[in-house]
Amino acid sequence: MGKGKTDISRRNFLKRSALLGAGGLAAPYLSRQSFAATRDRVTIFHSSVADSINPYNHSSSPIYGNWQHVMEPLIELDYDKKDYVGVLAESWQFQGNKWSFKLRKGIKFHNGAPLTSKDVAFSIEKMRDEKGGSLQAPNFKDVTEIQTPDDQTVIFVTKQPLAIFLDRLENRFILSKVAGDKFGDKLYENPIGTGPYKFVSYQRGGNMVFTRNDDYWGGKAAIKEVIFKKVTEDAARLAALESGQADFVNNIPVHEVARLQKHPRVRVDQVEGLRMFFLAFNMTHKPWDNKLVRQAANYSVDAPAIVKNIFDGIGYPCNGPVGANVIGADSKLKRYPYDPQKAKQLLAQAGFPNGCDIQLYYSAGRYPKDREVCQVVAAQMVKGGFRVELISQEWALFWDKQGVNGGRLPFYYIGRGSLTDADTLYDQYFRTGTTKRTNYSNPDLDKLVEEQQKTDVQKKRVAILQQAGKFIMDEALFIPLYNLADIYGVARNVVWKKRPDEKVLGWDMKIK
Amino acid sequence: MSWLRYFKVLVGGAILLLLCVCGVAAPLLAPRDPQAQTLEDRLRPPRWTENGSAAYFLGTDNLGRDMLSRIIYGSRISLMVGAATVIFAGFVGCSLGAIAGYFGRTADDVVSKISEIFLAFPFLLIAIAIMAFLGQGVGNLIMALMLSRWVQYCRVVRGEVLSLKERDFVTAAKALGGRDFYVLFRHVMPNTFASVTVIATFGMAIVIITEASLSFLGLGVPVHIPTWGSMLSEGRSYINRAPWLTIFPGLAIFITVFGINLLGDGLRDIFDPKLRRQR
Repeated sequence: MGKGKTDISRRNFLKRSALLGAGGLAAPYLSRQSFAATRDRVTIFHSSVADSINPYNHSSSPIYGNWQHVMEPLIELDYDKKDYVGVLAESWQFQGNKWSFKLRKGIKFHNGAPLTSKDVAFSIEKMRDEKGGSLQAPNFKDVTEIQTPDDQTVIFVTKQPLAIFLDRLENRFILSKVAGDKFGDKLYENPIGTGPYKFVSYQRGGNMVFTRNDDYWGGKAAIKEVIFKKVTEDAARLAALESGQADFVNNIPVHEVARLQKHPRVRVDQVEGLRMFFLAFNMTHKPWDNKLVRQAANYSVDAPAIVKNIFDGIGYPCNGPVGANVIGADSKLKRYPYDPQKAKQLLAQAGFPNGCDIQLYYSAGRYPKDREVCQVVAAQMVKGGFRVELISQEWALFWDKQGVNGGRLPFYYIGRGSLTDADTLYDQYFRTGTTKRTNYSNPDLDKLVEEQQKTDVQKKRVAILQQAGKFIMDEALFIPLYNLADIYGVARNVVWKKRPDEKVLGWDMKIK
Repeated sequence: MSWLRYFKVLVGGAILLLLCVCGVAAPLLAPRDPQAQTLEDRLRPPRWTENGSAAYFLGTDNLGRDMLSRIIYGSRISLMVGAATVIFAGFVGCSLGAIAGYFGRTADDVVSKISEIFLAFPFLLIAIAIMAFLGQGVGNLIMALMLSRWVQYCRVVRGEVLSLKERDFVTAAKALGGRDFYVLFRHVMPNTFASVTVIATFGMAIVIITEASLSFLGLGVPVHIPTWGSMLSEGRSYINRAPWLTIFPGLAIFITVFGINLLGDGLRDIFDPKLRRQR
């Protein structure tokens, strides 16, 4: 092959080695310097950060949070108001099979181009481009046409009236069409949005860096630079936080919380998570077809005691069929109190005076402390007159056609993630035919679920959801347990607005 | 130093005997129901420590269950699984190995190929695969362990039989008109006894550790049966806060395996013909 380019003299080699060595020695000190908490930069170590430069190549809440620094959606869910609020859209209207949005005026992209309806249509085309790597196309499967009659108006035409379209439009971020025309295939390497931060760099498995957009339409963010780094190992994130390498980390293990709270530089923040845990019955299996037995089971499980003892109190027992943060929650509903005597009475009434044999299925290791939880549930239910056999199955077996989704498991422990709207739970678990998970079928409940899905006024819809919730509790269709906490470790000088959806947003933070 | 040989056997045997007594008499020995949860008393340290309670000699676990009772009951599973696996695996492995070694040809080819396939998989991996496929349960666990352990007996016995069948006493037995199976089981097999005993004792130690590993991974026996491995597994996230959750089951596994290894070591010394000749 002849002489290669690696022809260096011994002296040169030594010189370079010495330089390299010195650099290597200095690197940890330099980087420690650069990670010291300043007012201008926040460093976030998260278990989930974008895995691709394509901003549409995922459908995961923390990753939406990454890209939302640069690009913005038309609307978003306000967790305090429990309703949708406009971001790029100023107002919207739902009529027949049309949703029309009026865009805010005066918004400019990072490249100076004004936001128009063409950008929206362009971005949604990118989201629908499954061949190009988008995983967000299914959100638009009911949309037949996108019209842009003028620069400020976008109209989505759907196959049939689609009241829940706002839910689908959440987290659909808008890129600049001008940038798209300019960069072509290289668009994703140069993401130009309207967001409070501008894109600086992305390295797979390395840092994802954003810098402040000083001309942001919604007011300048407090922190100048935001750095995300993906670190999947719990212990590694924790160590980074404690050593000052990171200012903000997610998923602190419950059993580390007490120790961390004593740390001089670090604070533990917890937020009620959106994953709801419950025990589900499949009502085509005996004895769960009997309402009295289901009620007895509800009376015999003490969820607050599980939260207190297994999760050290870091969790939120559900009062009613969904957690308090969920759209459709009803503060008037109460969970069945823990009353094993009452459970025994109900079982006797149902024809099981000598107790009742049941199996409880779960998938060990899938959820935090699931093995312990199920053992406690079993012990509690024994006091209520049930004899419980615990069966753990490998997740694929548990979840697939042989298990929950084939309607094969009579009674199981499960968590439903990203539950922001009670509709999702009621539709998936209790409406006739949506899934086989509980095989429940009741035309009265179906009617309520369908009616709220067609209702566009949020207040009315919530009222119907609450009605459905009451029905579900009265019929004891499942045993709601708790939502666990998302636990964050935060440097004490960082102030942020806690949110339940696992997004970490630089403009919601300040460094004191 | 012949007393040392017997010393090893005696100490190892004593430990094993003690464990057997624990296992058999568990309901009499255990102060409490190993399943009974007292959530208010969870994570109590052992009796002799600062916050220890007289009610719980070795403290309580994360669900408020008595550690001592669980360890005593845990010996049942370890011993039962260990013994059953050794017996079944020994039976299957020895039989196939003897047939392969003695008859050679097709029998040898088939048995050797099958055992090579099993050997190609790491022992724990094959056990994990079988448990994932069969599901949890003591019977399934023994089956999984047996399927991954029989090969060792098979290979050793085959090797021994290959060399033994060429020996003069075998030729003599055949010349006297002994039929194959008679010669094999009357004259050849008894001579493999020493090696099989040694493999069996060491094998039992390995099986007990594997059972613990599988239970640790959540693939062992159902969760309501206390085993040392599952106790370790559940206790490990509390290792900073409640180290006794992992120390005691770990110690139990250690002592058991130590005792069995000691016994096996002693037996090997006694059976080893080279050492025997020196006597």
